[in-house]
Amino acid sequence: MRQGFALPPQSGKTILVLRPSVRVAEQSTGGMAEPRAEWTDQARRHIDAALVELQRQLGNRVIAAPEAYGEDARLVAEHQALFAAVSRAVIEYQFFVGNRLPTKKRDNKAGQFDWSLGPDVAKLPGADQADYALFLYTDDQYGSTGRKMLQIVGLVAGVGVSSGVHAGYAGLVDLKTGDLLWLNADFQMGGDVREADGAMKRVRQLLEDFPGSTIAKEAAAPAATAQAKP
Amino acid sequence: MIARMRLAVGVLALAAGVSAQAEPPLPPPYAGAYQPQGVDEQGFWQKMDEEERRLAQSDMVIRDPALVGYVRNILCATVGEDRCGAVRPYILRVPIFNANMAPNGTMQVFTGLLLRVHSEAELGAVLGHEFGHFEARHTLERFRAARSSTDILAWAGVLGSLAPSYDVVRAYRNLEITLISSLYSFNRDHEREADRLGIAYLNNSNLRPQAAAQVWERLIEEYQADALSKGLKKPRLDRVPFYATHPPQVERATTLALLARPEAATRDDGAARYRAALAPWLPQLLDDQIKLNDFGASEYIIQSLAESGWTAPLWHARGELYRLRGAPRDLVQAAQFYGEAIALDPAHPEAHRGLGLALLKTGQAAAGQKALLRYLELKPDAADAKLIGMMIPKEVPAP
Repeated sequence: MRQGFALPPQSGKTILVLRPSVRVAEQSTGGMAEPRAEWTDQARRHIDAALVELQRQLGNRVIAAPEAYGEDARLVAEHQALFAAVSRAVIEYQFFVGNRLPTKKRDNKAGQFDWSLGPDVAKLPGADQADYALFLYTDDQYGSTGRKMLQIVGLVAGVGVSSGVHAGYAGLVDLKTGDLLWLNADFQMGGDVREADGAMKRVRQLLEDFPGSTIAKEAAAPAATAQAKP
Repeated sequence: MIARMRLAVGVLALAAGVSAQAEPPLPPPYAGAYQPQGVDEQGFWQKMDEEERRLAQSDMVIRDPALVGYVRNILCATVGEDRCGAVRPYILRVPIFNANMAPNGTMQVFTGLLLRVHSEAELGAVLGHEFGHFEARHTLERFRAARSSTDILAWAGVLGSLAPSYDVVRAYRNLEITLISSLYSFNRDHEREADRLGIAYLNNSNLRPQAAAQVWERLIEEYQADALSKGLKKPRLDRVPFYATHPPQVERATTLALLARPEAATRDDGAARYRAALAPWLPQLLDDQIKLNDFGASEYIIQSLAESGWTAPLWHARGELYRLRGAPRDLVQAAQFYGEAIALDPAHPEAHRGLGLALLKTGQAAAGQKALLRYLELKPDAADAKLIGMMIPKEVPAP
């Protein structure tokens, strides 16, 4: 989380949610991702609903970004790509202390979290009605029956076979300055996004460190969790 | 002598084998608003729909309605009005020879392809090939083939490690190589099928089907010219390497030439119309190609475009190509090429700019500055006007 930034609970801020990137696939026996349209549609619906509900509990208002056309749509696409690039850099260079960029080393020792998308975010459609923008990304692959069978036989044979991929990240951006305020990434997430309850669990995990959050942490956090620790 | 005879027999056998292939029947067109069937196809279509949302807003897409409309018209003229409605073409500013088509009807046409084909019939041949992949649902079949192969390999790997003896490891390796080889050969067969469908569309259109083979013949010459200028061995474009995704270019050219309907050879290939439609974009496409720093290929492309007559943009592009390589002899030749461009079009600003820069570098300061001055007169609001101005001492007072 960016230092000096605080979002007190129940502060009634408005959060603009850009179209979340949601992909749900089945993992074939050999490990290929088989895209599944129905699961993806369900996940998108459930995640949207869970987001509104959880932010309501936090005292924030969520608005979905309006459908954009022409120049506006290109601006949105550009910023979503930029957010993806910046988040990858944060995950790669900020979350893993031994991997800091030379230009950010000194700052980071003092617990800096200094990343920005630039002030052009203020021009995003819908930005004038909101304080912050929330970007959300999830990528899921559920192991097929064949993959699970392979995993069981692999256990006997002494070969490690992983089943399923469940990655996600979420980030909050200040719509006035473009500064990245908070980012959470996790490559082994819980919650089955294909169902309403699972999607709620997933979004709760994504938002568990959300500024001003009163969401209780999951009892057993996954071992491989990588979060922004200032 | 014996080798030559064997070669002759081989060519005959090839010819006989190919001519025995009949023109394939065209698949039924996608009816109305086709909806994907089954989980795999639905999954792919939705994934590609999401990709297309992103592609449509990409900065790589060229949004000139005239050019996009023209490419779409060529596709429709090739595959027929009843088929082309299912396709949404996007022109991407990518200076390589390629086009592709996604299962949901998104077609990507790279500018490098537009630069390399010379007529409507040639472009139609490539677009028809891509459309063939789409109508025959090749992406889906490839995905399924790859899935079954990796499934088999995964099981073989896990079961094989139950008895890790030398023989088992060797058998696993063999299986792996066999499966990889069969996947690539499956891929190449799809390309062959798409080639046959593409030429069948062209045979049934009003365009000249013989153009399809020309595309590949010219590409072969370009690869050879490129290898020659780099001092490399002549590439073997008639063999199938293990990891080849496409059949060799020589095979494709031969097959397409044999499958083109002979009586259609007198049809119009629309070369003049194509040149006229592409003219506004040609300078940028040439510029992108030159910046690939691929001297032999760029020189070949310029020369082959000049077969229908040298124009100012072509001379200018050739000047740029030589000036950017920048050896002293190149600069002398570049100045000459810019001169040719100016002779054809005295108001071509960039030709004066290139001429000035080339002359300055060869030590002809006065003549060079005069040419640069002319550039600034012709294009006073050029992005590099200040930079060029600094090379003309009298123009800009010392700061």
